[in-house]
Amino acid sequence: MVTNFMHRLNIDDRGLASRRAFFEITDEDLARLATHRGLAESHSGEVVEKLYHLLLGHPESRAFFPDDSSVRRVKQLQHTYFLGLFEGRCDLAYVENRLRVGAAHERIGLAPQWYIGAYGRYLRLIFDHLFGELGAAEAQAAVQSATKLVLFDMSLAIDTYIAANLDTVARHQAAIREMSTPVIKVHQGVLLLPLIGTVDSHRAEQIMETLLMRVVEEQARAVIVDIAGVPLVDTMVADHLLKTTEAVRLLGAQTILTGISAQIARTIVQLGVDISAMHTRARLADGIVLALSLLGREITAKAP
Amino acid sequence: MSDQVLSRDDLPVTTEGDVVTVRRRAQAVAQARGLGTFAVAAVTTAASELARNTLTHGRGGDASVEAVARDGRQGVRLTFRDQGPGIADLSRALAGGFSTARSLGLGLSGSRRLVDEFDIDTTPGKGTVVTVIKWARF
Repeated sequence: MVTNFMHRLNIDDRGLASRRAFFEITDEDLARLATHRGLAESHSGEVVEKLYHLLLGHPESRAFFPDDSSVRRVKQLQHTYFLGLFEGRCDLAYVENRLRVGAAHERIGLAPQWYIGAYGRYLRLIFDHLFGELGAAEAQAAVQSATKLVLFDMSLAIDTYIAANLDTVARHQAAIREMSTPVIKVHQGVLLLPLIGTVDSHRAEQIMETLLMRVVEEQARAVIVDIAGVPLVDTMVADHLLKTTEAVRLLGAQTILTGISAQIARTIVQLGVDISAMHTRARLADGIVLALSLLGREITAKAP
Repeated sequence: MSDQVLSRDDLPVTTEGDVVTVRRRAQAVAQARGLGTFAVAAVTTAASELARNTLTHGRGGDASVEAVARDGRQGVRLTFRDQGPGIADLSRALAGGFSTARSLGLGLSGSRRLVDEFDIDTTPGKGTVVTVIKWARF
């Protein structure tokens, strides 16, 4: 999972160097933070307590910590995280560790709002301690270094969150695409394509390809396209339907358009689109009857 | 026109997804203003056509969806703006059956028939503004 994010966020030696350069994190920054490690260790307990005071004080963020043992566990992780800022390194292992935090947030659904606020508290706590215990010039330099590194961490957390979300969207889109072009064999030589939802250019192309493949496979003679689930037929949708009809005709099959609502019928006429290349029926049932008759068959009542 | 504007939504038209958003908004406003099902279908389709024109011919732009009233009549007004190349031969584009994009070429002429008021302002090289209104029947 984390390795995947390293790859997704383009973090190899070069990617890391470029990211570090943009945040202006120098080796001097890291060395300076390392000299304050002792100070960090002596205050780490208090910093973590105050951070969780914020997170547990809001009902929405409180909800992410179901019980005391989980609070104890994340506090321990937070110790390690906090001290990580003062280790004097910002290498691939450091990033991998930070990405694990981002991935964990994404997994439990902790949105950026909560951890950005928490990072804010972090910075204020670090400021207080550094200015409280160091000379002004030294404290200012240390605060600048710490700010760079905390913002660097924040960028990793947010990028991980976005990348994970995009993965989810891509997975859903792929699932929807697969579901959205079911071509059903209704009878020998008769295919049914029930269209549901918005038909954009991308989908229309996929629909045409899937349908043409099936027409060849099934040696279909009639194709019923049911548009009862299509919210509107504009000239682009009509254009796609007509082009599909023409391609189907080249394969020796006829197209029947069904599921046309009164509103869509009127709209098509007003648009001035000529769909006489397709047979049309208002209802799917009538389309099936027509398809069978095109094949020289009919549905009859059982003999008594 | 002294139309009273009851609500206004400004939406970008830069992706195919935006076309869907604009037409859904037009549909929702039309329904809320009490347009009949045929009129709702007509103005929704016009929104789809015109937004797609803005996207493909105007190279993207933006749209406003407004609920309007005039003399006690309620309606929906759609405005589409782009800074694209404009329409060189407007009368041919409005006549229909002529396309610069290998499509049916009925978007503009068809939309005009779907709405009650249609206004187009196009300057070659500068862009195009199309404003349409669909009224609820009394």
